[in-house]
Amino acid sequence: MPYTLWFDKAGREAIGLVGGKNASLGELIRADIPVPPGFSVTTEVFSEFLSAGGLKEKIKNLLSKIDIQDVSSVENISNRIRQLMAETPFSKRIEEEISFNYQALAQVFDVHDLPVAVRSSATAEDLPGASFAGQQDTFLWVQGTDEVLEKIKLCMSSLFTPRAISYRIKMGFPHEKVLISVGVQKIVDARAAGVMFTLNPTNGDPSKVVIEGNWGLGESVVSGICNPDKFVVDKVTQEIDKAISLKECECVYDPVRREVIHADTPPDRREIPCIEDQEVLELTRYAKRVEAYYGCPQDIEWAIDKQKPFPLNIFMVQSRPETIWSQQKKEPVLGKKSAYELLMEKALSRVKVSS
Amino acid sequence: MAEKKGFPMPLEVEYPKELEGWEEMYPPMYMFSKDRKEWEEKHFWFHDKIHAPEAMYPLDLIFHEAWQISLSQYTTRVFCIPPAQGIAQRMVGCYMYITPVAPPPPEIIGEKAGLFQKRVFYVFDHYDELWGVWLKKFKALGEEMNNIKVPEEFPKFEPDDTVLPEPKGYYTSYDVIEAWDKLVDMMIKGWQYHFQYLNLAYLAYLLFADICRKLFPGIAESTIGKLVAGAYVQMFRPEEELCRLARLAAAVPAVSKILKSDIPADKKIESLRKTAEGNDWLVEYEKSKDPWFFVSCGSGWFHYEGSWTTKLDIPFGYLKADIERIEKGEKIERDVPSIDKARAELAEEYRKLIKTDEDRKSFDDTYRAVRTIYKYAEDHLFWVEHWFHTIWFDKVREFGRLLVKYGMLKAPDDIYLFNRFEVPLLLEDMATTWALGEGVPSRSQYWQAKAEKRNKILDAAKKWNPIPALGTPPEEVAEPFTVMLWGITTDKVQDWLKGMAVVPAEVTELKGFASSAGVVEGKVRVVKLLEEITKIEEGEILVCPTTNPAWAPVFTKIKASITDIGGLTSHAAIVCREYGVPSVTGTGIATTVLKTGDTVKVDGNTGIVKILKRA
Repeated sequence: MPYTLWFDKAGREAIGLVGGKNASLGELIRADIPVPPGFSVTTEVFSEFLSAGGLKEKIKNLLSKIDIQDVSSVENISNRIRQLMAETPFSKRIEEEISFNYQALAQVFDVHDLPVAVRSSATAEDLPGASFAGQQDTFLWVQGTDEVLEKIKLCMSSLFTPRAISYRIKMGFPHEKVLISVGVQKIVDARAAGVMFTLNPTNGDPSKVVIEGNWGLGESVVSGICNPDKFVVDKVTQEIDKAISLKECECVYDPVRREVIHADTPPDRREIPCIEDQEVLELTRYAKRVEAYYGCPQDIEWAIDKQKPFPLNIFMVQSRPETIWSQQKKEPVLGKKSAYELLMEKALSRVKVSS
Repeated sequence: MAEKKGFPMPLEVEYPKELEGWEEMYPPMYMFSKDRKEWEEKHFWFHDKIHAPEAMYPLDLIFHEAWQISLSQYTTRVFCIPPAQGIAQRMVGCYMYITPVAPPPPEIIGEKAGLFQKRVFYVFDHYDELWGVWLKKFKALGEEMNNIKVPEEFPKFEPDDTVLPEPKGYYTSYDVIEAWDKLVDMMIKGWQYHFQYLNLAYLAYLLFADICRKLFPGIAESTIGKLVAGAYVQMFRPEEELCRLARLAAAVPAVSKILKSDIPADKKIESLRKTAEGNDWLVEYEKSKDPWFFVSCGSGWFHYEGSWTTKLDIPFGYLKADIERIEKGEKIERDVPSIDKARAELAEEYRKLIKTDEDRKSFDDTYRAVRTIYKYAEDHLFWVEHWFHTIWFDKVREFGRLLVKYGMLKAPDDIYLFNRFEVPLLLEDMATTWALGEGVPSRSQYWQAKAEKRNKILDAAKKWNPIPALGTPPEEVAEPFTVMLWGITTDKVQDWLKGMAVVPAEVTELKGFASSAGVVEGKVRVVKLLEEITKIEEGEILVCPTTNPAWAPVFTKIKASITDIGGLTSHAAIVCREYGVPSVTGTGIATTVLKTGDTVKVDGNTGIVKILKRA
């Protein structure tokens, strides 16, 4: 079993090794979608890490002491487990392989200490709703081998946050069945970023792509701290319906504090669209392609690089099935009526003219 | 019933003093009156800016009288659209107002539903064959009208061959009276045919639009229009014939040189007659002329618009421009096959987005039905409003000349100052005077004075700005035309209410229907009267009460169009989509608010017009 797998080498067949999130990146690459490059640290690393030095037994032992009624007990055990994991080093071989891959990635871009995003990607083969079983953690702007290794371990230990533990207990998921993989991905130095849906989430209209975006990194849109610009694009006619918001803050990387911060958006950029029409249309094209590849509506995270020229500046960083409308049964909207029945209905109807 | 929302009641309208006496020009049932006050005040009357944007000449009202009856009876008594009733008309200071009549009682709706099902479903099933029958019947009626003989004069003595060997039994006095009666009868009949399938076509469109909105809640209105619009529409044929003639001429320098010169059209024809090549081209021109140049220079609703057969400078002007464009290597024809292909592809792409087989079937069935029957809505326009009306105007002109010849009127067009019930009085006076013998006076001074007074009233009316609506806005409308053609919706009524209170100079934005996609900025040209259309310059944005397909050639010149009135299938919307020109229709107040030279941004995707700079 490999310790690491480049994204383009692992699609849905490797979900047990790389987790759902990383596998979906592999699938996007197969669908010819531009995805920032990177690799997965597989569940093999997680398993081996736990097995070595009897970590697994210690954790099991600690977990068995939890009194689910007592919040402080969950907290306490969680802290102890995460502390234990932080103190236990990865094996030499694991460290070397991750370090080798990270250096290789950095070399591609000719950047020393290439900034990457480190994200957890949980898997629980036969457990539905696995994404909730592992607390999803993301670290942005991670630089240098040491920090990458540290954040990978933090992602792994996020499986034992109080929330993740309580959730598994409540749902009856066995702790040992949930495994975690970690993605290490080149970060997009985003001029603008956001999310998009391959249908209109407000009314289920399948002929629309709805794009929401803000200046800077996508976190401001995902977390909902700022009103994003909204673009509703017709998949067929490409007509764009825009709602440009007053965008007062954005997420940016602060090189001094070495972290992602919420910054005030400069006044001259607050009221102008964060993406141009040609970028909106290019995103729409990718949205349609992703949806066609998966055969169901998708919820996609995207980012637009600051430096690269259009259209090479556009990247998808994640895609998952849209949950609300897709879960509805595919019932006919028109109620299985013939054209004549519909005509009769129409002929009997009246158009409201005054409220 | 909705409470009063701010429009004045019909009898509260105040008229300028100069309009005094306007009422006597129109039939009495066209007046708001105390005896019908209660019923009239319950209804919502709006100025019909689509078909009657201008002050109405009494004889031009005949088309409206005819459609009021015909449109209404098909809805109420023939195809029986269950909750809908007819559309009633009134005159308000020389302008025509209309209202959809309130729905009938529930038991009538029930009775109508049965008849509707039986009759309408049948028509939808047999539409292809029925359209052929209709066209044949209608062309025959037009030919019959064209064959009406209007006497050129009253003879001093009836010629021998009408008396010997056996007296004919009726003479010129009767011929004149009969010819007029026939002419009027045929016009009324033509309009009975006009609505034979039109209500159903609009109903089919509304149904399809509903289905599209259920499947794709955010679909643009302009996209629905594009899906339904036909590329092979006969209303575009006059222009296609011009293109054909321009191509022929461009290939022969001797002909194109004459057609490109700056002399009047009749002089061009004279010059062409002098050469063999010129005559060859004229033979082709004559082939196109009947029926395709029997097309109004305007909407076909007003006698003064003229047609391509009476105002030759219009088609010859288009020909000149077309030849010049051919010589510059430009393409002048609409690319019909690719327009049609684009429509088919558009439909297929939406179809693919439908999630279930059942929905796809309903979509397919309805789309097929609307595509079949909607062709009628587009094609009848040429045959009725253009071809048939042109024949009518030609015949009425003959009566006008006869009345001038015998001193009843000063100018042939003065006949239009008398309504269709009054014209027989003039004709009878003229015929009686002739019959009575020599030295007998007619009431010519009375008729001439009346004509003069009415001309003055109409001139005053043209300067008057009638308010958009009267009476009580209804809560709902079931009448398909009100929504489709006039675009009457809640928003529209609200906008009109707002519009009545606005100071034109303070308005910064207009809202209407997003009728044809695209966004452009530019200077506007406000065209209130049809004659002003020739003033339009390359790259201007046309602002008008409403447009129609006969203006088609100017659509290659303009950047966008904005109208006061008109829904998504109004003539302006159809033409703009065909030409890919952005359009916002039904703004209610564009011609009041905008002045020629103002700079605006027209957004045909959202239906918003922003005023960027005042001239």
